[in-house]
Amino acid sequence: MTGVLRRTGIALALPVVLVAVWWFASAGSTDFYFPPLRTIVEVFPETWFGPRLVDDVLPSLGRLAVGYLAALVLGVGLGMLIGSNRALRALVEPLLEFLRAVPPPVLVPILVLIAGIGNTMKVLVIISGCLWPVLLNTVEGVRAVDEVLADTCRTYRIRGRLRWWHLVLRSASPQIVTGARQALSVGIILMVISEMFAASSGLGYTVIQFKDGFQIPQMWSGVILLGLLGVLLSVLFRLAEHRVLGWYHGSRAVAKER
Amino acid sequence: MLSVEELHKVYDGKRRRVEAIGDLTFEVAEGSFVCVVGPSGCGKTTLLRCIAGLLPPTSGEVTVDGTKVSGPPEGLAVVFQEYGRSLFPWLTVADNVDLPLRAAGTARDGRRTLVGEALDAVGLADAHQAYPWQLSGGMQQRVAIARAIAYQPRVLLMDEPFAAVDAQTRADLEDLIRDVWQRLGVTLLFVTHDIDEAVYLGERVIMLSASPTHVAEDLVIDLPADRDQLSTRGDARFTELRGRVYAQIQKAKQEGKTR
Repeated sequence: MTGVLRRTGIALALPVVLVAVWWFASAGSTDFYFPPLRTIVEVFPETWFGPRLVDDVLPSLGRLAVGYLAALVLGVGLGMLIGSNRALRALVEPLLEFLRAVPPPVLVPILVLIAGIGNTMKVLVIISGCLWPVLLNTVEGVRAVDEVLADTCRTYRIRGRLRWWHLVLRSASPQIVTGARQALSVGIILMVISEMFAASSGLGYTVIQFKDGFQIPQMWSGVILLGLLGVLLSVLFRLAEHRVLGWYHGSRAVAKER
Repeated sequence: MLSVEELHKVYDGKRRRVEAIGDLTFEVAEGSFVCVVGPSGCGKTTLLRCIAGLLPPTSGEVTVDGTKVSGPPEGLAVVFQEYGRSLFPWLTVADNVDLPLRAAGTARDGRRTLVGEALDAVGLADAHQAYPWQLSGGMQQRVAIARAIAYQPRVLLMDEPFAAVDAQTRADLEDLIRDVWQRLGVTLLFVTHDIDEAVYLGERVIMLSASPTHVAEDLVIDLPADRDQLSTRGDARFTELRGRVYAQIQKAKQEGKTR
């Protein structure tokens, strides 16, 4: 318990110091574009805990969740297929490298033409960015399945669904988690970006609105909210990772001791 | 029960062609315990993988129970040398033993009984919920043996299973395997490079030549069925048999060098 407290203390030390510095350095600021942190904090609750929570924050997070989860399912599914089939891999790998190299924000205008400016477009933008890290890492993970373990499955006639789950997916899971972590940060960025074009709600849209309306403290509070959401999501991600990869971290720790 | 006929295996590399197995023919009777020894690099593992149906032979054939092997045959289990890599690190000990039974479609109650009995038999009754990587090397290999026991195979292949464990653990595991074999009546083919181990364990020892491999000698081990690390290894007959196998392996090594 004291260990947890200590680690939390260390993790929070630098942010606390930086916030304090910001607080005092900006306290007497008269610059219109850099208002005192105190002002930003004061407008924060009224800005975000009102109707905007339901109208803007939750729809943004909803689109992120749908897009991110769809990319996970699609990326892991396709990655397992491509990774376990040599011919298919040789065929699609150059294409995947190309698609990955396309920065997803440039797809926004194209997707607007195809899917309009509604939720579908925004979810598609998120998928188009989150898919690649998951897909490519899954392919790598599946290729790295241990030969002895694969032979074990063959001799004990572990096939089909059991094999896909217990051999292929679980073997690849450390790599998949790496891809999923990259995809999460990409997803948050794309959530905001997709709302900056042709949108009428959402976090990104609201921040732009504040900027255009010269509501500078509110704009800053939006940036802070996005940062806090990012931290929250990464904490949730860690909890999930801890469950999924408990065996992996445990066995690595043991291997290090020996 | 198990027969190997004119087995021949060549690995065709880009630059060179390696003849791993020259011409191997032997039979293993149902319920017998046969050890295969040979100098290092003589294709022991290749032979085992061909029998297990994990590797297609270049020519010749392997039959298990009268059926030609073309893929991993039913009722055959393998205990690999690399215990650390043959267990699923994401599954508990009990689930590792259970997985082949699930794949075979055994009912849940039957599986629970088999898993419990197998783990009892290898002395891991209290490790059901542990993960393999939390156990020592010897205990991990016990899990792999328990998995093979629970699977109730008719043929059990072991590929240098104790090569990577310490000497004391090894002696315990040797006795465990003799015990398991006597109780289950399984046909056991045990590949090793350790001459003492082969003589101590087997009813028969097949000695292989250096590669390209053929059978150098097929020796019946006429030691009493009840074996004991102290008295059996101290037996004059054991020493004699051991000397004979040793001489044969040395000869095979020499021939391998001059070739």
